This record gives sequence, C-alpha cells and structure tokens, in this order.
Amino acid sequence: MSRADETVWEVFARKAYEEPLHHVGTVTESDERLAIVCARAIYDEQPWIHMILVPRTEIREAIRA
Amino acid sequence: MSIASSALGGSAVGGATATMISLIGSLADNKGALGRRYGEWAVSAPTIESAVAAAAMAQDELGHARSTYPVLAKLGVERDDEGLDSGCPLVAIEHELPDWASVIAANLIVDGILTTWVATARDSSIEPLAQRARKILQEEGAHRIHAEAWLKRMCRSGGEDRRLLLQRIEEMWAQAARWPGPGDHRGYGAAVSEGMVRSRPDEVRRRVRDWLAGLLEAEGAVADLSEPTDWSGWDERIRR
Repeated sequence: MSRADETVWEVFARKAYEEPLHHVGTVTESDERLAIVCARAIYDEQPWIHMILVPRTEIREAIRA
Repeated sequence: MSIASSALGGSAVGGATATMISLIGSLADNKGALGRRYGEWAVSAPTIESAVAAAAMAQDELGHARSTYPVLAKLGVERDDEGLDSGCPLVAIEHELPDWASVIAANLIVDGILTTWVATARDSSIEPLAQRARKILQEEGAHRIHAEAWLKRMCRSGGEDRRLLLQRIEEMWAQAARWPGPGDHRGYGAAVSEGMVRSRPDEVRRRVRDWLAGLLEAEGAVADLSEPTDWSGWDERIRR
C-alpha cells in the first residue's frame, strides 16, 4: 500500500487554555477521523486539554529565510 | 477451562441468567483474546500511526475484559482463575493473527459483533453490566473509526490487499456471526423478556451485516455475510 497520497497533519496541543498551542508532531493518515484517533494515541505523554490537527497543505508561509 | 463452561451446569442451560452468564463470560474471554491479538500487531502494523492505534486498542480490550469478568461474580459465578490468558475465545482469534488483513477483519467483525451486543446491554436490568456497557461503548468508537478507515484503504489499494481482506472478512464472519447464538434460543429470548439485553441474536447480526455491507458497497465490494443456518455443532457454553 502506497502512502504517497496520504495527508500529513501537523499536531498542536496545550495543557492550559492560557498557554499557546505548541507544535507536538505530525500524523500521516488520509482518513480525517483516524488521524484524530492516532494523534490522541501517539501524543498522549502529557495531560493535554486541547489538541488540534492542521493539514500541512493548509499552512501558508509568511517568511522563508 | 473457560468462564462460561465452568459456570454453566447442564441443568442451568436454557434459563435467562445462564444465557447471560455464557454471554458475559464469553464476551470477556473474546475481549481478552482480541486485546492480545491487537497487542501482537502493535510492533508490526504497516504504519507507525496504526501500530500506536493497535497498542491503544489492545489496552482498551484488555481493560474491558478485566472489568467485565467481575460482572459474573454479581451473577453468582466464581472464576477458575484470575488471568486474562485463559478462556475459550473464537477460534479465529485464539492464536496470533497471520496478516494485517486478519487484524482488520477481527477489528470489523469480532469487535463489531461484540460491541453491537454490548450496545444492546446498555440499559440492562443487570446494573453492573449496564455500567460496563456504557464505558465500553465510549471507547469502542475509536476502534470503529480504525476499522472503517482501514477497510476503505485496503479496498481502494486493490489487488492482493483487497482480495485478502474480503477473504478474511468472510472467514471471520463465518465464526463470529455464530457468537450471539441461534435466533430462536429460549434462554436468550427469556433474557430479552427480562430486560437483561435488548435485542435478539439475529438482530445483532443484522445490524453488523447492514453496517458492513454498506461500507463494502461504497467501495464496490461484496462479501458473503450469510445468516448462520447450521447450529448442530454450536456449544452454548463457549458460543462457537
């Protein structure tokens, strides 16, 4: 099974709402619901209260040195 | 010796409580086995994401087994031992699964049948069972998402992946569809009448079949998900 057409999701999380979201890693998965399940399973080392996933293709660069 | 076989004396078979003891004991046996099978693939799943998901599902299933066995004590059944490595699960998940297609077929069919049955016990008159059922159902949502996503992926990849998955689904269904038992089972009927469980065996099978057939149809695939007809060799004590 090729993974070439799969979506790379950037995963962000925080432990308190007064904190900013931190980048914690990525998940490669074409199915959106499974990407969420996998992110929760993979990045469970901290007691996060908020986690979001963003498709890498939706990120826009503002500066590129 | 399994929980179920140790609990069911010959004269008790047929009653609502005896049927529920068999179902609950076998549910725990099968969840324990499913947990071990998922766990074995946590180091060799095709992607790191699914390896971690398999480990998480293994943890869930072993937790469900561990929390389900004590329900038997509420029904007056003493277990032979306290381990999770005993019992009589379905033959299909008794030993290490040979390929990833078998893992996904077990995820779809065995997990699907057991979870659908657990859903029919959500409001059971056996209160400890109802409590466990609600907790189990919360966690099983992720298992269903995993199974559905992998079915789509393997069907869309075509070739051997698709062929083998459909074969494993049919093999798994032939065994797991028998788990709820015959549609006209008297003890099961009595359990439904007494509010211990909501739906009869054929209704449990129909729900899983409809869900699965819909998923397969969306991918242009079909599998034989026939209603079991030959119950001559079926043993209520171990539900296989």
